[in-house]
Amino acid sequence: MNRMSGTGEADNFREERDSLWRLIFTPTIWTFHFAIAYAATAVTCARHGGEEAVDLLRTGVIGLTVVALGLILWLGYGAWRQWDIIEDRDWENDQGHNEDRHQFMGHAAFLLAIISFIGVVFVTLPVVLIGTCR
Amino acid sequence: MSRFPEDDMAPRGPYPPTEEMLNEPVPQELQEAQKARLRAVWKTPEGWRYWSAVNNTEVGIWYTMTAFFFMLCAGVLALLMRTQLAVPDNTFLDADRYNQFFTMHGSAMMFLFAVPMFEAISILLLPAMLGARDMPFPRLSAYGYWCFLIGGIFVFGSVLFDSAPKSGWFMYPPLATRDEGIGSDIWLLGLSFIEVASIAAAVELIVGALKCRPPGMRVNIMPLYAWYVVVVGGMILFAFPPLIAGDFLFELERSMDWPFFDHERGGDPMLWQHLFWIFGHPEVYIIFLPSIAIAAMIVPTVARHPIVGYSWIVLSAVGTGFLSFGLWVHHMFTTGLPQISLGFFSAASEAVVIPTGIQLFAFVATLMVGRVKMTLPMLWIAGALAIFVAGGLTGVMLAIVPFNWQAHDTYFVVAHLHYTLFGGMVFPVMAGVYYFFPFFRKKLLSERLGRWSFWLIFVGFNLTFLPMHLTGLRGMPRRIFTYPEVAGWDWLNLMSTAGAYVTAAGFAVFVYDLLRPKGYQGVIPRNPWGGGTLEWSHDVPEEAWGARSVPHITTRYPLWDQPKLLERIDSGRFYMPDALEGVRETITTSVIDARPLVAQRVTGPAWITLWAAAFTGGAFILPTFSFYTPAIICAAFAIICVLYWLWTTTAQVPTEPRKDVGLGLSLPTYASGPNAVGWWAVFITMLGDSTAFASLVFGFFFYWTARPDFIPAGADHATGLAVAAGILLFVMSWGLTVGARTLNRRGSVPAARGALVLAPLCAAGGAGLVILSVLPLDPVSHVYPAVMWALMVWLVAHTFLGVIMQLYCLAGSIWGKMTPRYDADLCNTTLFWHFMVLTALVTGFILGVAPRMMP
Amino acid sequence: MLVSAVVLWCLVAALFIYVTRVRTGSMPRRWAETLIIGGGIVFPLIVLSALLVYSLPQMSPQRSEGDGLVVRITAEQWWWRVEYLPEGSDTPIVSANEVRLPRGARSEFVLNAHNVIHSFWIPALGGKTDMIPGRETFMSLEPTKTGIFRGQCAEFCGASHALMAFEAVVMEPEDFDTWLAAEARDAVPVPAEAEPGQALFEREGCGACHAVRGTSAIGRVGPDLTHVGSRKSLGAGILPMTPEALADWIGHTGTIKPEVNMPSYDHLDPDELRALGLYLEALE
Repeated sequence: MNRMSGTGEADNFREERDSLWRLIFTPTIWTFHFAIAYAATAVTCARHGGEEAVDLLRTGVIGLTVVALGLILWLGYGAWRQWDIIEDRDWENDQGHNEDRHQFMGHAAFLLAIISFIGVVFVTLPVVLIGTCR
Repeated sequence: MSRFPEDDMAPRGPYPPTEEMLNEPVPQELQEAQKARLRAVWKTPEGWRYWSAVNNTEVGIWYTMTAFFFMLCAGVLALLMRTQLAVPDNTFLDADRYNQFFTMHGSAMMFLFAVPMFEAISILLLPAMLGARDMPFPRLSAYGYWCFLIGGIFVFGSVLFDSAPKSGWFMYPPLATRDEGIGSDIWLLGLSFIEVASIAAAVELIVGALKCRPPGMRVNIMPLYAWYVVVVGGMILFAFPPLIAGDFLFELERSMDWPFFDHERGGDPMLWQHLFWIFGHPEVYIIFLPSIAIAAMIVPTVARHPIVGYSWIVLSAVGTGFLSFGLWVHHMFTTGLPQISLGFFSAASEAVVIPTGIQLFAFVATLMVGRVKMTLPMLWIAGALAIFVAGGLTGVMLAIVPFNWQAHDTYFVVAHLHYTLFGGMVFPVMAGVYYFFPFFRKKLLSERLGRWSFWLIFVGFNLTFLPMHLTGLRGMPRRIFTYPEVAGWDWLNLMSTAGAYVTAAGFAVFVYDLLRPKGYQGVIPRNPWGGGTLEWSHDVPEEAWGARSVPHITTRYPLWDQPKLLERIDSGRFYMPDALEGVRETITTSVIDARPLVAQRVTGPAWITLWAAAFTGGAFILPTFSFYTPAIICAAFAIICVLYWLWTTTAQVPTEPRKDVGLGLSLPTYASGPNAVGWWAVFITMLGDSTAFASLVFGFFFYWTARPDFIPAGADHATGLAVAAGILLFVMSWGLTVGARTLNRRGSVPAARGALVLAPLCAAGGAGLVILSVLPLDPVSHVYPAVMWALMVWLVAHTFLGVIMQLYCLAGSIWGKMTPRYDADLCNTTLFWHFMVLTALVTGFILGVAPRMMP
Repeated sequence: MLVSAVVLWCLVAALFIYVTRVRTGSMPRRWAETLIIGGGIVFPLIVLSALLVYSLPQMSPQRSEGDGLVVRITAEQWWWRVEYLPEGSDTPIVSANEVRLPRGARSEFVLNAHNVIHSFWIPALGGKTDMIPGRETFMSLEPTKTGIFRGQCAEFCGASHALMAFEAVVMEPEDFDTWLAAEARDAVPVPAEAEPGQALFEREGCGACHAVRGTSAIGRVGPDLTHVGSRKSLGAGILPMTPEALADWIGHTGTIKPEVNMPSYDHLDPDELRALGLYLEALE
């Protein structure tokens, strides 16, 4: 409990809210990647549709993917560190201590980063494999 | 151990409690006196007053039974349809009636059974799992229930009068918009009404799971069920509003002839499909996840081992929640969208398999490391797994676009969706009923009848739906009331019909078991399955107080891992063992670590919720028959009822600023801002509301990408100056509201009141100017002016609410309900206005700026 | 795909039965982690990635351009308006409720709908594509064998959705060309025994809705009947093309096809209905 003592309740609260949001950072990146790719495709195909426009779209989406994957990797690495599995080999983090809660949040965020990573890669596949608006 | 700081509104005293403190016995007389007081405070009303109850156990049971009743009704429709399809060219039902039946079967199963059932079960169970006395807003649950009941009877009853909706549960325009008769209006208004109730329940459940956990129950040890509740609640908030926005546009087209979906005047029927499926696909997971949550409670008990891979399950719940929003177009693969777009949704549909698979494998892993004791609930879970995996695998196939082009809208899909819903919802819920029955009825269901019921339903189900895969692959489309003999589908259909009757027999056995008298059983064991979570600390025989005292929790399975827990709960050793002031209370805690924050008052029995629900019902139902004036009167009365209810029971200025809740801990009795549950409720509601608004904005941009004639050349725009001035007034109203809060806090009450007088005036002026700005446009002529008008209507309706809230605070300030110290109402109003000003700015941009910039 | 799905299902079921029935005792913790990671992430990741990479390019055939023939189909409640546009031609050859295609060539379909959404589908030849009012969708099909295949509406489109079908007839290319040339011509002169029916057809005003090219009937509201007698079925794939069925249909449209737009001519006596049937059947 030492980490907590000496800090005001308001500070606690801020820290707590921070970590709940952090849990959903990576899936949110997936969401934005997905939404932007979808919207860009819809506008490109409905308003332009030519081959050049599609090529531009593909380049753009792949660029976006690289950025998204980079962000996810970075956040995932942070979460991995927070999970701290190598050091303490604790898979479950099922005790009622701050440390357990902290590492649990890290673990869940890390796993979500994996899922988001797979999601982003999957969603990029159509752009790579299909080159037409038809 | 840390001590809370000596702040006026902060908790005081030792926390967490030491073993020593917990070992201190509670004197016997004191225990009895406490029990008597608690019993009196939490007493369920008797006689006809019983229906004024709001406690979660009462409302939860009504809710569950009502949803179950609607399921049986919708099941009867299914039987009648199967009878019609038993043989080719049958004349048992005519086309019109068959179409009403299949529409109502789908709509009722989705809106009157599956989603409400989740809410019902959660209202019933969640407080017990969290050792809470009640939900944070009991009257809101009761209001939601009565809305559901009224709306459900209205919608389902239409079948009896041969006037039910008949355009399919997806209500695609133009078929549904052009439908003569009131069927479509019944669907739209009746179900919108129920959706509002669903959102209310979602708000309550999220707040319950985040803020009403027992002290010490951190997020890493809360029951998985609570995690699922948070995820599913969040999904409801983002999934239902697009449908509500769609309903809003749809009803405007039906009653005012604004052409949102009419292609001849620039509209587009595809917008509805997008909005409907942005709701419709997450909906499937909204149904599936809570049922998996039930499995997540049963599996550890059966394995007699804590769940393996807790974090994995949390990950998969959250991951599924997100990914499920990227699947909606897989219901629209055949609508001719570009291949790349289809590819995105195909890929996301495959990606969602991964978290779903993790969930199932985590259960199997738990069974692997545990010492399994097969029980009746587990039999149902086993059936669920077998059926769901089959449904999941056909789902993987359907996500492949070329296969989907072949199988879409055939009986293959009928088979697939019933496999996922029976496996992902019906079987786990049945397991839950068998598992939790001792908890909520204090009796046991019959093992023998349960096995009969299981095998009848399991065999019947597979006999019905397994052949349908083949029927579909042989080319039988869905939603046909008859089929010719030549098609070669006859023996498959006959098999399905036979199976449907076997399934029905299984449900009949179950209903008999549920309803038969069980008095002979006497007092049952308190924890018959040997579960480890808090709901099994319930009192047998029943006590209405929920938890005798609210425990301090430090493990995931407290009944297994915290020795002496039960005895301490029962003796009132933990928090809030007493009700000295004679009011209902529960503890609210912080979101992550569940540190105790406030001794929260909760409301007791009342009729006002029933009245509010009845008038709200009138406001939604009367327009179906074009009775607009009575509908407006009902709406006014509904608002009055809600205001009365808020004024008399919420955020009351407390007599004592803090109270001792036991174990030396002293908590404030009032909270405002983010510490108050009400603030969270407003925040969560407004997230949902903003999603609905975002859906309208999406509609505007959708028309722009989809229609070459949007915006029509030379069209009139909204008056720029009026829009600009109007939005400026909105910003001022927002500024005044924020100012009022700050001034009030500082103690400058007269200045705050002044701001609260000016703020509604500014808002009303702003709304007036925005109305003026669109008056020159004719919404019937084309979809572009219609969208402008729709945005205006949305903004004005919200202004109306915002003004009421401002005036409510003003009245509170004048009549002493709100003071500089007790300012929760004003905090909540300010929060509402943060969202409001955002809505106004976006509306201003779309009315005034966007159309002039778009090519 | 179906086979692998069945195999996967059996594997999962077997595993489940094993852990719940056969080996109910405790198994090592490490196996559990391996199961979650292997079964939950690694295995599905490999299978799904392979499936996606294989399947995503498979969409293109049905969306590729045709070899020349364009068939424009407009869905009505509840029948199909069919127009053939051979390569290089822009005068449509109008027909209804039957689609004929040459074998071995990719024909393109331009799909539209008049008032509500429908979906065009010939199960034996390929996937379906929706027909949406105010939008044009398209697809193409390349039949590989001759024969008669059933097609039908796959999107719910109102009361008689179930009764909206058609025949797709795949012919050898040369037969198809001969047939199309005949279809383009005006109606054939009818034999003497069908003439009373023709008079009745004119008297009852059938031509206000239906067209019989080469006669005074030029209506566009209902199906074109110029060569109706040569079609395989009647009433959008629901009745055989016989004089009796035609008579029955004209006399009882509303009972045979609920809420259909064409009124029932039940004021005509059976002889008159039979005469109409004979006339229409003679329009080959």
